[in-house]
Amino acid sequence: MSVAQQNGGSRSEARLLSAILVVAICLTLAPVLRLFVEGVTDQGNPSMALMRDVLAQPSTLSALKHSLVTAGFGTLVSLVLGAAFAFLVALTDLRAKAALVFCLMIPMMIPPQITALSWTQIMGPSSVLLKTLGIAPPLGAPQPLYSPEGIIFLLGIQHMSIIFLTLRAGLRSIPQDVVEAARISGAKGLRTWWQVVMPLTLPSLAAGTAITFVTALGNFGIPAMLGIPAGYATLPTLVYQKLAGMGTTLLAEVSVLAMLIGAVAVAGILLQRLCQSRQRLHLVGSTSRPLALPLGTARLPVEILLWAVVFAILVLPMFGLLATSLVPAYGVTLRFDTVTLASWYEVLFRQPVTSRAFANSFGLAAGASVALVVISLPLAWLMERRKTRLARLFDSLLDLPYALPGVVLSIAMILLLIKLPFTEATLYGTIWIIFLAYLARFFAVMFRPVQASLKQFDPAMDEAAQSVGASLYRRLRDVIFPLSAPAAAAGAILVFLTAFNELTVSALLWSSGTETLGVVIFNLDDSGETGMASALAMTIVFVVVVLMVLIQLFSRRFPKGVVPWQT
Amino acid sequence: MKSFVTSTAFAILASTAMADTITLYTSQPNADAQRTVDAFMAANPGTEVDWVRDGTTKLMARLRAEIGAGNPQPDVLLIADTVTLEGMAQEGLLTAYQSPEAGDYDAALHSAEGYYHSTKLITTGIVYNTGVDTAPSSWNDLSDASIKGQIAMPSPLYSGAALIHLATLTGDEALGWEYYENLAANDARAQGGNGGTFKAVASGEKPYGMVVDFLAIRNKADGSPIDFVFPEEGVSYVTEPVAIMSSAKNVEGAEKFVDFLLSSEGQELVLDMGYIPARDGMGVPEGFPAREDIKLMAFDPAEALANAEANKGKFAELFGAE
Repeated sequence: MSVAQQNGGSRSEARLLSAILVVAICLTLAPVLRLFVEGVTDQGNPSMALMRDVLAQPSTLSALKHSLVTAGFGTLVSLVLGAAFAFLVALTDLRAKAALVFCLMIPMMIPPQITALSWTQIMGPSSVLLKTLGIAPPLGAPQPLYSPEGIIFLLGIQHMSIIFLTLRAGLRSIPQDVVEAARISGAKGLRTWWQVVMPLTLPSLAAGTAITFVTALGNFGIPAMLGIPAGYATLPTLVYQKLAGMGTTLLAEVSVLAMLIGAVAVAGILLQRLCQSRQRLHLVGSTSRPLALPLGTARLPVEILLWAVVFAILVLPMFGLLATSLVPAYGVTLRFDTVTLASWYEVLFRQPVTSRAFANSFGLAAGASVALVVISLPLAWLMERRKTRLARLFDSLLDLPYALPGVVLSIAMILLLIKLPFTEATLYGTIWIIFLAYLARFFAVMFRPVQASLKQFDPAMDEAAQSVGASLYRRLRDVIFPLSAPAAAAGAILVFLTAFNELTVSALLWSSGTETLGVVIFNLDDSGETGMASALAMTIVFVVVVLMVLIQLFSRRFPKGVVPWQT
Repeated sequence: MKSFVTSTAFAILASTAMADTITLYTSQPNADAQRTVDAFMAANPGTEVDWVRDGTTKLMARLRAEIGAGNPQPDVLLIADTVTLEGMAQEGLLTAYQSPEAGDYDAALHSAEGYYHSTKLITTGIVYNTGVDTAPSSWNDLSDASIKGQIAMPSPLYSGAALIHLATLTGDEALGWEYYENLAANDARAQGGNGGTFKAVASGEKPYGMVVDFLAIRNKADGSPIDFVFPEEGVSYVTEPVAIMSSAKNVEGAEKFVDFLLSSEGQELVLDMGYIPARDGMGVPEGFPAREDIKLMAFDPAEALANAEANKGKFAELFGAE
């Protein structure tokens, strides 16, 4: 190959890198930047007046306090549940681990508003299930979940899978040799645990805790379903209530609230980074067998306990939803003569909004997955080959739209797209604003695994292809794509499942005809159509579980690493 | 390329812009909205209706945002109250239309210029769970200390009907703001819309409440353990008016929709769905007292519009709601 041709290839790479980088930066960082500008200016001039005003409002402070309390204690609940499961599943000789792991993934994949809806159906005087069993609390007894404790509890359940997954991954990398070495040196029982295993897992525990805290902070579905009826506002629901009640006239004020949520989220992540940098322990030879401590006679009781917890958090609420969806009117006891499929029929076959929402959610989720694969693959590869300053800067900031709570991103998107620059057009009120928000939101989910897989890839292969004259497009197609396909597929599955169930972003962005499934359930319950909301919620849970089972069934045919919950 | 194909596919899904389609924003419950639209389309083949449902206040906030963005979606509004529409008419956001059907209506039920036409009468009264010991019969029964913390009501910050209810009751000489102060002192919960209030009462979580008549009477017929009372002082009412936007893209279709709602066929449907029709001589649905026995409290829309913001503010202060 002549030098000229190589340079030509290199130039086309540089051009392609710049082009994709511009697209990616516009997608992910421009909205956040736009939001920041809104908060610190007043009619184009730098000003902190608005920020001072909003931060001084009592409602802001109480919502901030509520957010910190619910997200903080919610994370604690997740930590206890997730860590207990992770330790037992990763380190002991429990049976049927694969089934247990699969079941523990489901809470994360079920939309939070469905979690909240289903739990309110099995507790309080309203519970059709309790009424049917004849053990409902008396009239006037409060719904216990309409409280900070209720929000904390459900946030804890919703996000325990995150702690479980990160911690389990960390635990599996601890080789048995380390524990054996400790034993030989005379350490016994709990001492091995506290002095050897625990310190080694702290980095993954810290990482998981930070992600859980930030996710809980940005959660909208649970505090909206449980907090709004009780008059208990968190920052995301305060933003929602302000925009829902007053419209975009309050956009500037609301953008300050969004920045406040963003600041708390970033503080959470920085705190975790700090903890992690202080706690640096290195493992040598992590290739040996992972730990498998025998539980002995405790095995059966522990297994029963774990499955009982899975039953309580997964199956019981579903019975609640089912019972509510089958009665003719709210408050009726479920008996053989009162069972009716009217709610199911109405919501699935009569309401046009349902099929519209299915089409929207499916199209958005699939579209976002495909578009992100198309952007992420070449971008990750080019960034790996040419570490320009811009590429490095982008690399350090690209997690931002995912780390920031969804409400923050939606406000940023509205600000950015309500008036398209240089035109009179707007994307607000169209499906495109939701689509672009999804691309920004899930960019890191797709990009990071692809990037990690390409880091392990030997550049010699690509250079060999280049030296025999393969064009950039050809190399991308024949060399890079096959090598990173498993990581891209894993990312695409996660993006699809999360986007399909999304509510936080779309709650502020939907409009006539662009409702997502999350929005429809939320609005149905909000208008008192709890039967219909429950029927639709059950349908969605069913669809999600079927999708997950299909992926699981085909997982043997996929290369290792494609199924996100199998490691 | 794939992303382009997918994107195009749902661009088409998103904007099924057919030649004769009208877009309706309504605060009717989903099932009723669907029945209304089905009946209209059966009577007017060739005209399609896309509709969106939400609480009146939320719907208006959304519409305001759309107007701000220069892209208002609806052609027709069918929402809870005339006060909201009177305000919009004054801002020039509505088109006047003299429907040929309007002659059979009390002149007070539509704007003289034809900006909006009332379609039904929805009253707000007292709902209670049949499990309670004593049934309430007067508004003052809800501020009785014996049921402290057991009352739910829709928030006027959220529901158009609730805002008018607030204006009516606080405008009443015997009740006034003092009544709402007593309710607040009695720990009445004022969150969300009528749907949430009905749920709280039917579930027994808050056994007493204020709610719109049809939700209670209809669900009672389906077996919900509740009862509805028209209090002795009278009830407040909204009339669910219909209006055509001045930005309507399909004015002809919108006019057909208004005519249908006001026609005796449309009003039969209203009756059949369990609402009191606005048209003269239509009777009342099952479960309601005769129309002349329903005592409507005095209400002045102009005054309600003028006081709307002050009322909301005062209410938010009393009930500590956002």
